Amino acid sequence: MIIQTALLVGLVLFSALAILLKDLLKAAISLAVASLLLGIVFFRLGAPYAGVFEISVVAGLITVLFILTIALTNTGEEVRESRLVNIVFPLFFVVFIVIDALVMKGLVQKIPALPAAAESGTFGDVLWKGRTLDLVGQIAVILAGVFSVLALFRKRDKHD
Amino acid sequence: MTNTWYFYLFFSAALVGAGLFALLAKRNLIRLFIAIEVIAKGVSLLLLATGFAKGNVLLAQALVVTFIVIEVSLVATALALIINIYRHTKSLDIRKLAKLKG
Repeated sequence: MIIQTALLVGLVLFSALAILLKDLLKAAISLAVASLLLGIVFFRLGAPYAGVFEISVVAGLITVLFILTIALTNTGEEVRESRLVNIVFPLFFVVFIVIDALVMKGLVQKIPALPAAAESGTFGDVLWKGRTLDLVGQIAVILAGVFSVLALFRKRDKHD
Repeated sequence: MTNTWYFYLFFSAALVGAGLFALLAKRNLIRLFIAIEVIAKGVSLLLLATGFAKGNVLLAQALVVTFIVIEVSLVATALALIINIYRHTKSLDIRKLAKLKG
C-alpha cells in the first residue's frame, strides 16, 4: 500500500509539473514520467496488458509526437501566459484536494453497488469474445485518425 | 473494498481537477493538450481502479486498452491540427484563434 501511495502521489505531482513547467519540452517529459508511473500502478493492480499499453504507447509514442510537434512549432516566440495562473494553480490544487478528501468518501458510499458477475477466462477471452464490437470501433477510430492526418497534411494544389 | 476504491477515486479526481484547471487557465495550444492528456490519465486510472474494486479487472483492462487506442488517434489528429494552426497563424496562442477571419 505504501508503494502504491508513493506511485500515485508521484503520478499527481508529475502531472501537476507537466502543467506548471514553463519549458514545453520539460512538460512533455514529465508527462511521460507520469505515464510511466501510471503504467506501474496498472501492473500492480493486476492489469499487465493495460500497463504495457500505457508505458509503450502513451509514455513512448505520444511523448514522441509531442516532442515532434514542439520541435516543428518552435520559433522562440513564447506564448505569454498570465502570471496569475502560476500563483493561483497551487492554491486551487490544495483547496481542490482538501475538498476531494472530504467529499469523495461520502460520494463513494452513495453509489449503489452494482452486481458484478464473477469473471472467468483470460484477458484474451474477455477482449475478443466479450468486447468484439469495441475492437471494430478501435479499427474505425484508427482509420479515422489516419485519414484525418493525411487530409491535414495533404499537398496544396497550385491554384489554392 | 470501499476504502481501496475511495483511495484511487481520490487520486483520479485530483488528476481530472488539475487538468480542468489548466484547460481553463492556459493559453498555449500544446499546453492545453497536455492538460487533456492529464485528464485522460485520471479517467483511465478511474476505470481500472473501479474494475479492481469490483473484481472485474479483465473487463476494465479491455476498456482501458480501447481507451488508450482512442487516445492515440485523438493525439495524432489534434497535434496535426495544432501544426496546421501554427502554419496559419504563426503562433500557438489560443487567443489568436478568436477571430473568424480567413
